[in-house]
Amino acid sequence: MSSLTPSFGRGAMTNSWSDLQNSQVFLIAGSNCAENHPIAMRWINRAKAKGAKVIVVDPRFTRTASQADVFAQIRPGTDIAYLGAIINYIIENKVYDEDYLRKHTNALLKINKDYKFEEGLFSGFDSKTNKYGTASWSYQLDADKKPLQATSFEDSDCVMSKLKEHYARYTFDTAEKITGIPAAKIKEIAETFCGARPGSILYALGMTQHTTGVQGIRAYAVIQLLLGNVGKAGGGINALRGEPNVQGSTDMANLVNNLPGYLPYPINTDQTLQDYLVRNGSVQEKPIVALLKAWFGENATKENDYGFGYIPKTNPAVNATMVKVFELMEKGQFKLLFNFGSNSLVSIANRQLVRSALRKVDMLVVSDLYEIETAQFWREPGVNPAEIQTEVIMFPAAFVYEKDGSLTNSSRWIQWKDAALKPLGEAKPDLDIIDSLFKKLRHLYVGSTEAKDAPILKARWDYGEEPSALKVLQELGGYDETTGQVLPTLASYLNAPVGTVSTGCWVYAGVTGNGNLAARRKNDDPSGLGLYTGWSYAWPGNIRILYNRASCDDQGQPLDAKRKLVWWDDEKKLWTGNDGPDVADKTKGPDTPQGMQSFRMNPEGVGRLFAATYTSGMPTTPPADGKPVIGVRPAALCVDGPFPEFYEPTESPTTNLLHPAVSESPTAIVPSAFPEIQKRGKPEDYPYVLTTYGVVEHFCAGGITRNIPWLNELMPEPFAEISKNLAQKIGVKEGDKVEVSSARGKVEVRCLVTDRLQTYKINGKDTETIGMPWSWGFASLSPGPSTNELTIASIDPGAGTPETKVCLVNLRRA
Amino acid sequence: MSRKMVLVDTSKCTGCKACTVACKEWNELPAEKTKLVTSYQTMKDFTPNTWTYMTFTEKYEKQKMNWYIRKAQCFHCEEPACLKSCSSNAISKKDSGYVVIDQELCIGCGFCVENCPFGVPKLDKTTKKAYKCTGCIDRVENGLIPSCVATCQPGTLQFGERETLMAEAKKRLAEVQKTHPKARIYGETEMGGTTFVYLLLDDPEVYGLPVNPQTPLSLTLWKDVVRPVGKIAVGGAAAAVVVGVMGNLLRGGYRGKDSDE
Repeated sequence: MSSLTPSFGRGAMTNSWSDLQNSQVFLIAGSNCAENHPIAMRWINRAKAKGAKVIVVDPRFTRTASQADVFAQIRPGTDIAYLGAIINYIIENKVYDEDYLRKHTNALLKINKDYKFEEGLFSGFDSKTNKYGTASWSYQLDADKKPLQATSFEDSDCVMSKLKEHYARYTFDTAEKITGIPAAKIKEIAETFCGARPGSILYALGMTQHTTGVQGIRAYAVIQLLLGNVGKAGGGINALRGEPNVQGSTDMANLVNNLPGYLPYPINTDQTLQDYLVRNGSVQEKPIVALLKAWFGENATKENDYGFGYIPKTNPAVNATMVKVFELMEKGQFKLLFNFGSNSLVSIANRQLVRSALRKVDMLVVSDLYEIETAQFWREPGVNPAEIQTEVIMFPAAFVYEKDGSLTNSSRWIQWKDAALKPLGEAKPDLDIIDSLFKKLRHLYVGSTEAKDAPILKARWDYGEEPSALKVLQELGGYDETTGQVLPTLASYLNAPVGTVSTGCWVYAGVTGNGNLAARRKNDDPSGLGLYTGWSYAWPGNIRILYNRASCDDQGQPLDAKRKLVWWDDEKKLWTGNDGPDVADKTKGPDTPQGMQSFRMNPEGVGRLFAATYTSGMPTTPPADGKPVIGVRPAALCVDGPFPEFYEPTESPTTNLLHPAVSESPTAIVPSAFPEIQKRGKPEDYPYVLTTYGVVEHFCAGGITRNIPWLNELMPEPFAEISKNLAQKIGVKEGDKVEVSSARGKVEVRCLVTDRLQTYKINGKDTETIGMPWSWGFASLSPGPSTNELTIASIDPGAGTPETKVCLVNLRRA
Repeated sequence: MSRKMVLVDTSKCTGCKACTVACKEWNELPAEKTKLVTSYQTMKDFTPNTWTYMTFTEKYEKQKMNWYIRKAQCFHCEEPACLKSCSSNAISKKDSGYVVIDQELCIGCGFCVENCPFGVPKLDKTTKKAYKCTGCIDRVENGLIPSCVATCQPGTLQFGERETLMAEAKKRLAEVQKTHPKARIYGETEMGGTTFVYLLLDDPEVYGLPVNPQTPLSLTLWKDVVRPVGKIAVGGAAAAVVVGVMGNLLRGGYRGKDSDE
């Protein structure tokens, strides 16, 4: 999300599960899809049957790796080093798609002359705040405030030149010394991946859970743009979202800096809608007003700024992502915590903070199927319940099959389902719980004239006496506020004047328009490309492959005769095709400025190799009324740099070979408010690298699966996987108990001694990785130690994701 | 019903174990207490309540890792040793190739347990009945495919007509042999041709399978030689003692003693 938006304009997987069958080559790195997204293998195997090659890069030889043609074992957290070497290889050997680069990327745009990268730092770094000022990451602009364009890649100011210069340092040999992957193997990966098109890159949490997670995925974006693999069937960057409706909940703003539909969250300086638009561009006016109309109905009027004042504003300096929330809780900020669908005591890195923070709230409400660890933190072994004052209330939640509603999968398909069973006992769907809670709360506020209570009293809340999930989806899909009718299509939202329509999530606009499109189950696939456009509804506008305009030539005709997605029908003067055309206006031909754009959600209209600071539509002269200027669309940025750069993880066995003085990411957030809890280890004391992951037999924090006997017998206990060399060194054999310790805690588990982990060399020194699944906790039918007792909660500055995938540990025979 | 086949294409298997759960769910079999056996394998052997499970074998050679994963279940042999050994006519073979135990008729003699070259049937100590994979005959005879096949996502398991699937298996074999020269089809001729047929990536013994599975010689001698003769000439019991001693001398094969017993 935080890397795909600055690259392509939308924070979503570009293609779909069923599109994987169209690929010629896969780079699966940072995803163990055979374990964690088993359905992916169905489509990957279909591509393999047609001759596709599979490359897997992972700290361990995984179940996914067992299906690979090329496998490389990488030191956790060093992906950008070998990806940088692949970028270097592509540029040096000119295996890029020049035509694509010229038409669909910012390769030729000229960068501000103040932009620099020196000794591990980009220009604009403030060492007091550890943050970047991004003014120098901009373009050279012409008189119309549009980026200047070079004519050739040789122009020393253009993005392509900067890219070449930046990655010249990343040789195969340097990458070997950093990652532990032999140089010849990296070369083989580069040749295999660049040697076939279209190629698809798959990643998941293995790529995101790093302090450099955003930039690792940016490196994928750079590679895929160089190779011309975005906007094509069988190409793209496939961010595999988890089964618990991760895509849907992200659409609904589970990220701290979003409102539903990926609108930027208002901050404390946004006093008015006008202020908000100054920061975020006029393009956000319609969606935020439509959102306010959905939430506050007739109480959102032009006169009261559409109720913009009702939305609480955040302080961007706090950036309250998950780890930060528990830090604030530990400081005593909250009295009450609602915990729905999360088992934080198992899932959060450095769980000591969670364990301690939960004692600081007066009341904890947990809504779940089972009494998960978080709900019984007060009786974890070693904790004295008498010392805990927190009151804990448990809501029995209904299971997924016991409730109506939609789930949005990784392909952005909004899929409706009806309840198959009645909830057991007193259990209720989340919607019923929240609906009843809200109604009771609102009743308590009746009569209040205090401004802080206005949002509760003014909110539109009309899902019925017995709340209906369909009504919720209809609210997301939107209403014509002048007639009260549901919006028939996405176009009816796009064409409506501001303030006349509402949508709870503008990217879902039209989903319930002509019947409930999410409930469509037409299973035919006339193109044979796995588009299934009659099955459910994909946002936006039922487009299955995002940016698909890039699959066409200048005349708007498909470049790949075997994989025809969309095309310009010159007779009808219309964009049409097997897929929904991803163009701003279907009537604007391929030779018009709008009809040329493949990445219309970026202000430049092209894919961004360099994540530049830029706002489109800035007026050339200041407004006469003296008010601040409002541009059309500001670009999304990466707070840690316009190009991906390799930095060591927070806890690393070595220093950065490229720039030892700036070894770790200079902008990474390393929480340290509670030094007793948030400790940091040194390689002298903790010489081994730990990586953590899920197993196919259990799901996330195990709240459900560890209570299912059939799954417990498949994987009854957590373990530590170690190499044969390491086993010999500490004198253990397979099945023995070992103690794994970090600066933060220790756990005892059985060890698996395996050839699937090999000793490797980092800058000449033998190094070991230890692998541990993290899905266990002290409760459930199958209790076991939590691996997050060991992990470090340092945070990616852009996405707020903790570095769960790598920390330093020691190991001994237990 | 015509002769059926389930192709187990191990080259596509990712070891997700969904087939194991699907089996237990359809057949209403309870979970059992397990622990890590080796690699990601947690079920050591068949039990009266575990009719299918996965084996994980790691083989690292020439700096290349191979992780051989196999779904184990009854082979449903064309010439089933269990059927031959059954003392109460509880075991029968269907036209589809399926070999099923009728627990109503089973007297718990355990001969099938002793004589299966793959160690499949297991005796429940409480009910004194033998149990094993039914091939989901109850589903198949009602137009459904076996539960394990229905749940398999990577496409490892396929159910269909034996002739069609055997041709498919051979086509796959030619493809797989390009990267795994030792790959082979297992079950085409073994035990007269089995209903569950494997595409293996390496030699059978790497997967813990007998290279040349046989009906135990003692059983053949007893059923086909001594017993018919014995009925005429000597007392059956006396012959059984002779054959039993011979059988113990001759028996061997791949199966070791169960270390838990």
